[in-house]
Amino acid sequence: MKKGQRKTEFIESIMEVVRIVAGMAIAYAVALLILILISDDPIFIVKQFILGPFTSLRRIGSIFNLATPLIICGIAMCFMYAVNKFNLIGESIFMISACAATFVGLQIGNSLPMVIMIPLLMLVGAIVGIILAYIPAIMDRKLNANVVVVSLMLNSVIAQLTVWFLRYHMRDTKLSYLGSPVIPENMQLPSMLGGLKVNAGILIALVIVIIVSILFFKTSFGWKIRLVGSNPRFSRAVGLSTLGISFAAQLLSGAIAGVGGAVEIMNSYKRFQWIATTGHGFDGMVVAVLARKNPILVPIGALFLAYIRIGADVVSTSGDIPSEFITVIQGIIILLVAAESFLSGTKKKLIYKSVEKEEAEKRALAAAEKVEEPQKETETVTEEYKAPDGVVDTPEEEVK
Amino acid sequence: MAEEVLRLQGITKIYPNGFMANKDISFSVGKNEIHALVGENGAGKTTLMKILFGMEDCQQGSVYIDGKEVKIANPLDAIAKGVGMVHQHFMLLPSLTVAENVTLGVEPMKNGLYDYETAVKETQAIADKYNFKVDATSKVKDLSVGQMQKVEILKALIKGAKILILDEPTAVLTPQETEELFEQLFALRDSGVSIIFISHKLEEVMRICSKVTVLRRGVCMGTYDIEGLDEAKISRLMVGRDVVLKFNKAEAQLGDNILDIRNLVKINAFGKHVLDGVTFSIKAGEVVGIAGVEGNGQTELSQVISGLTDFASGDVILNGKSIIGMNVKQIRDNGLAYIAEDRMVEGVASDMSIEMNIMADRFFDKDYKNGFFINSRKIRKEVEDYIKEFEIMCDGPDQPVRMLSGGNVQKVVVAREFTSGANFILANQPTRGIDVGTAEMIRKTIIRKSREEKTCTLLISADLNEVLECSDRLLVMRKGRVVAAFPKANQVSEEELGQYMLGLKEMSAEQMEGLL
Repeated sequence: MKKGQRKTEFIESIMEVVRIVAGMAIAYAVALLILILISDDPIFIVKQFILGPFTSLRRIGSIFNLATPLIICGIAMCFMYAVNKFNLIGESIFMISACAATFVGLQIGNSLPMVIMIPLLMLVGAIVGIILAYIPAIMDRKLNANVVVVSLMLNSVIAQLTVWFLRYHMRDTKLSYLGSPVIPENMQLPSMLGGLKVNAGILIALVIVIIVSILFFKTSFGWKIRLVGSNPRFSRAVGLSTLGISFAAQLLSGAIAGVGGAVEIMNSYKRFQWIATTGHGFDGMVVAVLARKNPILVPIGALFLAYIRIGADVVSTSGDIPSEFITVIQGIIILLVAAESFLSGTKKKLIYKSVEKEEAEKRALAAAEKVEEPQKETETVTEEYKAPDGVVDTPEEEVK
Repeated sequence: MAEEVLRLQGITKIYPNGFMANKDISFSVGKNEIHALVGENGAGKTTLMKILFGMEDCQQGSVYIDGKEVKIANPLDAIAKGVGMVHQHFMLLPSLTVAENVTLGVEPMKNGLYDYETAVKETQAIADKYNFKVDATSKVKDLSVGQMQKVEILKALIKGAKILILDEPTAVLTPQETEELFEQLFALRDSGVSIIFISHKLEEVMRICSKVTVLRRGVCMGTYDIEGLDEAKISRLMVGRDVVLKFNKAEAQLGDNILDIRNLVKINAFGKHVLDGVTFSIKAGEVVGIAGVEGNGQTELSQVISGLTDFASGDVILNGKSIIGMNVKQIRDNGLAYIAEDRMVEGVASDMSIEMNIMADRFFDKDYKNGFFINSRKIRKEVEDYIKEFEIMCDGPDQPVRMLSGGNVQKVVVAREFTSGANFILANQPTRGIDVGTAEMIRKTIIRKSREEKTCTLLISADLNEVLECSDRLLVMRKGRVVAAFPKANQVSEEELGQYMLGLKEMSAEQMEGLL
């Protein structure tokens, strides 16, 4: 039995790799196919798309800057995804927290040193995040309202609320467009690494990854979240409070999304000027799915997504391809990587074949021993129906 | 024998989880025959019929209709080949009329549009022919359950079914509706339809069927003429032990009452009394078994005792405390260990590691914490010890449980539940579908714990070997009530037990006095 088990495990892990590689290969193949149809020089475009992001230090640095909010939102969404609540409130939390951090930062001005200012504004983002995440979470817990619908609807409400606040309470009237005044310098994260121009926000993002990874794997709360997400009925049966745990996970997720919004303003902007949500919450969900709700893998997923995005920018500036086209490829890659049952038929067949082979070997062995077929009388019918994994214990073993 | 219409030859079905639901089953059905297919729940009746109806594929075996071998790929294919099935749960569109439901898939058309008038006419014609008292123009949602069943049968008939499978058709009917159904089944039979009647109600089988095929645990026990059989004989074929296991167990040394169940009533969402005044108690050091055909309240009983569902009235007292108002954690802290019926649903989180699954009920305790963090080293060491002690075949504590075989998954469950320090073990189907070796280990551990550690055990099982040999005292449940109690489980004959399980006999309250 042990042998069969190892074989199954081997097939599973191989198929996992094959699945991801095949998913990406298909996506690139589709991309190439479309490019051949719409571009005059498809090979150049593909080369630009794949290699373009690495052609200058500036571009490499942009990958990291673009990945920063994706990492933080990916971590936030890991909590939602880990407890199987597709609560998308992070999308608007990201926006309103950025607005709130800007507002508080503008009020405080340059009076505080950066080392206090930045954590303080992150805290502001986190608090705003918790407050807003509470609404869909409590509706889910107490009213059994569909968390996807509630959070999506709330997103528009919160986004419009943010725009209203910007327009009437924070607007810099000297600007021809809608935007806040320039934020004080002590809340602008410095850029590092010379020509790469990577901003310090990536460090904050990585610290969050480390903290949350420890929380997930080394604390009892993290264990609870993972168990509840994996099988709520089981978790209930062993005495965990499933509702409370998934509620808490949703609040934490909101807090981290809020931090993400605050960090993004400090990392990449000089003023708050968003008049719609930025898509970071949804991207965070994509990253969490790519990372298989494992916070340690979130930076990889986020960097991958950022890399594709920069590639798209390169292509649209240097070639004849609109960047929207890249969204298509992105979609295909994510679809195929995220679709857990992609190629599962092949996997099942492989597993079934290996079990069948073992069974055939057993049967051959039994035939060699030349013992009679089981009769229909009660006494000789053995417990073979109980054999696991399709492995049939032959009746003669019983008689022995 | 009448002309053979359908023959199944050597059907073997293994589910992907390795459970063998049907093993080399062969039987045939003749023309103008109502053929009973009987067996306990889990014997493989429904699986077999799903194979015939194209809803499941089988690994081996063939199906012959009118002597010709056919491959049935899916239900549409089955219908085209003249097989119709009426499921236990109706598959009707409530907001449409009877005629619309019946003609779904074979809609009469006129000028490219649905011809409702003809549909009504055709439906009514068939309904009248077999004396089905159904109005083709009424909406399905306004019908009674019995009438809905008629609509299901009409659906099969209008598509030209020659073989009609009825999966426990009387389970939802009142006695009057049952009578009516039988009349109509006779009419159908006389007009040339062969009927496969799945049931475990033996009196009905005796009344309307001419032949009976008995399944037991996926194996066909043979096909018999009803003439010359009686209910006791069928029940003996259905309920019985394949191999008689014997355990040498020491005499139980009983202590105080650990579990007291008092007049427990649970009413389900449909208003049915699924537990109807259950009363019994278990003492320290005692194993009490519950036998019964599945679906007679055993699942509900274990769900209530484990705190997973609430109940209408009565009380469950564990270690002197009522579980009313307690959550699952509190009940477990008060001494419950629970081996759940469906281990993949309530027994493990299959994507999580063996380590997390074994420690799932205790990792949050102070003992396993190091300040804010989990004491990984201590947990790892304990889990490794348990893996050794319970002989869990795996690559290590980090392996996800889903990669294990059924027996090893159950070892993970018992490694947790047997070591939680509880003094009451609620074991519902603890050895279902697992290998012989693991099953024996679990049974022996249950007995050993009761003898050495004075745990009290409630063992619910469909496996007669298990309840008869492991239990000290034996109760039989039927229709949500305890209908029989025996002081010495291993002295009860299967035959006697079968009669109580299938409702042929019932003990009075006086007879069970002192045994509950």
